Order: sequence, then structure tokens, then C-alpha cells
Amino acid sequence: MVENHSREDHETGGENKEKRPKFFINDHVDILIEILECLDGRSLCVAASVCRLWCTIARNDSLWENLCFRHVSPPPSSVRSVVLALGGYKRLYTGCVRPVRSRLGRVRRATWAGDEVQLSLSLFCVDYYERLGGSNSNGRLVEKSSPSSLMFLCKPVNV
Amino acid sequence: MLRYDSTSSSAGSSSGSLSSSSSSSSSKPPQQDIDGLLAGAGYKVRSSELRQVAQRLERLETAMGNSPADFSQLASDAILYNPSDLACWVDSLLTEFAEPPPTCSSDFIVDPVNNQTVVNSAWTAAEPHTPQVHQNITYDEQQSLDNQLTVVTAMEEDSGIRLVHMLMTCAECVQSGDLSLATSLIDDMQGLLTHVNTVCGIGKVAGHFIDALSRRIFQGMGGGSVNGGSAFENEILYHHFYEACPYLKFAHFTANQAILEAFDGHDCVHVVDFNLMHGLQWPALIQALALRPGGPPLLRLTGIGPPSPDGRDSLREIGLRLAELARSVNVRFAFRGVAASRLEDVKPWMLQVNPKEAVAVNSIMQLHRLLGCEQTRNSPIDTVLSWIRGLNPKIMTVVEQEANHNQPGFLDRFTEALYYYSTMFDSLEACRIQPEKALAEIYIQREIGNVVSCEGSARVERHEPLAKWRRRLSGAGFRALRLGSNAFKQASMLLTLFSAEGYSVEENEGCLSLGWHSSPLIAASAWQAVPAWDNHMSSS
Repeated sequence: MVENHSREDHETGGENKEKRPKFFINDHVDILIEILECLDGRSLCVAASVCRLWCTIARNDSLWENLCFRHVSPPPSSVRSVVLALGGYKRLYTGCVRPVRSRLGRVRRATWAGDEVQLSLSLFCVDYYERLGGSNSNGRLVEKSSPSSLMFLCKPVNV
Repeated sequence: MLRYDSTSSSAGSSSGSLSSSSSSSSSKPPQQDIDGLLAGAGYKVRSSELRQVAQRLERLETAMGNSPADFSQLASDAILYNPSDLACWVDSLLTEFAEPPPTCSSDFIVDPVNNQTVVNSAWTAAEPHTPQVHQNITYDEQQSLDNQLTVVTAMEEDSGIRLVHMLMTCAECVQSGDLSLATSLIDDMQGLLTHVNTVCGIGKVAGHFIDALSRRIFQGMGGGSVNGGSAFENEILYHHFYEACPYLKFAHFTANQAILEAFDGHDCVHVVDFNLMHGLQWPALIQALALRPGGPPLLRLTGIGPPSPDGRDSLREIGLRLAELARSVNVRFAFRGVAASRLEDVKPWMLQVNPKEAVAVNSIMQLHRLLGCEQTRNSPIDTVLSWIRGLNPKIMTVVEQEANHNQPGFLDRFTEALYYYSTMFDSLEACRIQPEKALAEIYIQREIGNVVSCEGSARVERHEPLAKWRRRLSGAGFRALRLGSNAFKQASMLLTLFSAEGYSVEENEGCLSLGWHSSPLIAASAWQAVPAWDNHMSSS
């Protein structure tokens, strides 16, 4: 897009700049969102570092919702309120869905596609519960070293 | 001990080299008789003997494949010849396999994974973690045989086996009352522990069993309360055990799936948890109920747990946490805590069950604590089972350790426990997160201590296998509910997430069990009370 812009400039010379509209993707947020919706998780995170607008959009939970349910049948509407209450889709995706999908993906069982998200949700919920506990525990031994049920997903897999 | 004989001219005490002895005599064989190609690879075989050596190698291969237990024998007692003198070497090995090894009664106990890693590194260049002992010893693999066998690993292997032998002997002495011999064995074993790697494998487990045995010997039959950790400590250890390995997660997820299915269509549901701990089982159920088609029911949870000594109402705290979670996901929720130090102290009226609601009783590794040593008519287990039946629950989920640690004879119990906990420690090796792993090991260590060193009412870890529970529960008026394919699928998925490749889920007449390398370690089952008139008609 940047190249197009400079080429246009070059072709038309100086006088016709006002007549030929410049195309900034940032002016067309709806197109931008459509494009970002196609990205995978990692690219979406990278996209969030481009500029402030992209950052705001990439942090929008609905993009991550899309990522979570991309390959599965659309979930019932009640799922959204639950996920938002538990911490949002971005957290669900980065914390649970992505590692679950990548580990289960190695086994390649097609029948598991929808259940992966279910399992991720359950693990996500346990994680939320544990985070609740960290904040109002009595501070004896638990605080910083509070075990997290998702830690086993974060560690590198021993193949 | 493993001795490496690099000179091909020694006859050795394990003879049996027939025609090859001529080649290993002091005079060097004529050079032109040696097969050139094999010589290039480092093996001296006479061309005239090629066919016989090949045949003997094939026999050796089948012999090794047929008797995997003999490997430990090879590692400890064999005198081996330099494999570059192939004929001699293969003959010496064949004689090893020809004689049955002296009774190694602890074969089945020796940590199979550890055993094979040592053997594998010695014999072939195969992958060190394969659980299979069958190795196809081909010429190519023999080329990579290291001439300098690591004597240290062999000695460790040997010490490991000796430790197991001594543990068994010591247990036998304890059973027969010969405490002086038992004490001296304890000393010997502790000395032997220094030769063994106690960071993993047989050394670690053996260390715990030695401790437990010595505690048993030195504290008398009353047994100290090994389980004497405070309730708070126990909860922490339990939580770390939950994180470090999949057993409790499997238990929770499987039970939740069964409860979810049983609650289908009910608007008022009540779950009774026999051991609340940190309530880690319930968030997933609350979430699943929140998302069930038709909307969530009113959920009541009654959590039973030990009373907290210092005025902290830990049950109530957990209840508040769960309530907060339930409120976030819009599930109507009510919690009640019942503080009881023993399950048999709980009376059904404390649970305040409403007759209109669907009840689920959840027991994760609690029922075995009721199996007191007296098999009287009104033993605690019968009392509790009968009031559970009186509640008429839609489902009772029972998860128990799949082990036989309640036998009257000490030696049998000890042997079972050694095998069971070795397997469990093996599976824990795969865990990489600290301090979860260390604390999980302490959790298991306390169980070991209770099984081995306590007696009477102090011994609460009275595990019984699934088959026994089936008989007991059927006799008490329950019938089994099949756990279903969803539970199985979920369990399989959960296991795949855990990085270690050794876990396996098995389905056994409607019950699921989770094991390590096909040794089941924990079994989950679901039950329903048979209606009273049915039982009346079929009662004996």
C-alpha cells in the first residue's frame, strides 16, 4: 500500500495529487478488520504492534473470538457472556485454545475439533478460579508461587 | 558384576564356546581366514565360520526377544567377551540365555523404564526411551557398541535390584517380627542408597519405602500419624499433586462429565463433595452448567472437609470463591460447608438435601478411608453407603486408586505398594514444573508412609481395586452406570495435552481407568442407587 502510494505520486507528478485520492488502509477500518480477521494468533499479536489504530483493533475481543471458533461450528450465544466473564477471548485463545489445539493437532483426530474448544473452556475456567484465589488467599505460602493449572500447557512439550 | 574381557584369549568361567574356543586360543588365527568385510567393520570372524556365527546370532536374537527379564541378569552377572571376536561373544551370550537365571522374584518390581534405559545404552544404539525390550540385534547395531561399557550404570542397576531384594526381605522380617534383622537391613539399605541415583527411578522410591519401614519398626505397631500434616498443608500438597500429574484432573473431568449428563433436564441440582479441598473440581462443572442448552439450573454444593484449627473457615472461603465464579457466569449457586474430620462423622441431615432436587454424590479417593480393619456388620463403609443410598442420588461418582493396599498380610501389601508407587513416581518424572513436582512427590510420600508404617485406625489409605469396589457397591444396593464415550473422549484429549507419552486411558465395563504404560493407577466409576423395592426382591 505504501508502495502504491509512492508510485501514484511519482506517476502523476505534483499537480494531480489532490485529484487522485490516497488510499490509507487506516481510513477504512472495516476493511482492516476484515483483513485482520483472517490472521492467525501470532500474526494478530504482531499486527498489534504496527500502530495505535491497529493495536486498538487487534485488542478487540471479537477478533479473538473469531480465532477461537474458526474451524468449528458457531457456538451458542451464551458462550460469549461466559467467556467475557472469565477473562475474554484473547486470554482464552492465548492461554488455552492455542496450546490445546497445537498439542492435540499433532494427534490429528478430526472428531476432536469442537471438543478442543470445550476442553479449553473448562481449563480456562479452572484457571480463572485459581486467579480468583490468588487475590484473596491469606497470603501464607500461596501468593507468588500459586500453582496454575495451565502451567502444564505452557511448558515445552517433551516429544 | 559386569566384567569386560578385552583379550579374546581368556576362556572365562562361563564356558560353552565350542568351536570358537579354538579361535580364541593363544595362537592367532591365520589372517587370510578372517573375513575381510567384517574385519573392516572391526569384527574378527573366520570366513569358514560365517554361517554358523550368523545362525547363532539369530538364535541369540530370538532368545533375547523371548526373555526380556534376562537382561538384568546380563547387566549384573555376565562375563562378557569382546564383541569384535564375534563368535566367542555370541556363544557366551547364548549360554547366558540357555540357563534360566536365579530366581529374581523382584523382576516385576524393578522399574521397567529405568531398567531398559541402562540395558539399551549398553547393547544397542536404539532410542533410550522405548519401553519395548525386543531389540533386533543386527550387525549394524553391533558396530555402535561401545567397548567401554559404563560400569557405573551397571552398578547402579545392580544396586537398584539389590535394594529391591533387601526391601522385600526387610518387609518379610517385619511381618514375621524379626525386628533386629529388619533394623540391620535398614542400615544396609541406607548405605546402599548412596550408590544409587536417588534423584529419579528406583532409588527415589526405595528411599521413601526405607523411611516408611524404619518408621514402622521404630515407632511400634501403633504407627505415628504419618498423615499428621495440618489440613492446610494437605490442601497445598493436594493442589500441587493436581498440577503436576493428570490423575486428579482426570478424576475431576470424568466425574464432572458423568454428573453433567446425569443432571440433564433437572432444574434444581445438588452436589455433595466428600472432600472439598480447594474446590478445583467445581469451576468446570459450573461453567458446563452455565453453557448447557436450556440454561443453567440452580446449583447447590455441599462441601465436606476437615475443620480448620485456627479459626479460618477454609470451607467458607472456598465456597465464597466458587460463588463468585458462579455469579460471573450467571449460575444461581448456593454453598454449604460441612466440617468433619472423618467421613463417618457426617450424618445425612447435615447435608440438608431437598427431596425435589437431583443429587450427585462425588467421592474422589475418600471411600477407601472408611474401610476400617474390622469387617463387622456396621463398619463405617456400610453406614455411609446406606445413607448415601437413602439420599437416592441421581449419580454417585467414585474415583479410587487402582491398587490392593488393604490386604491383611503386611508383605503382600508392601509388595503391591512398591510396585504401585514405583509406577506412579515414574509417571511423575515427566513433570517439568517445579515446585509442583517436588510437592507432589511429598504428597505421594505421605501416602506411602501411611500404607506401610501405619496400622489400625491410623491407616487410612486402604486402597482396593475396582473389582472389589464393584462387588462392594453392588452389594450395598448400587448399580453401575456406564461412563459413556464423551467421558472417554474427554479423558483421552486431556491426556494428550500432558506431554508425557506414557499415560493411557482404558475403558473397563463402563468404568475408566488412567494408567502409566498400561498399568492402571486410578479408576473412575459412576453408580446409581437401585430403587428400594428392586433390592428387596433380589436381596439374599
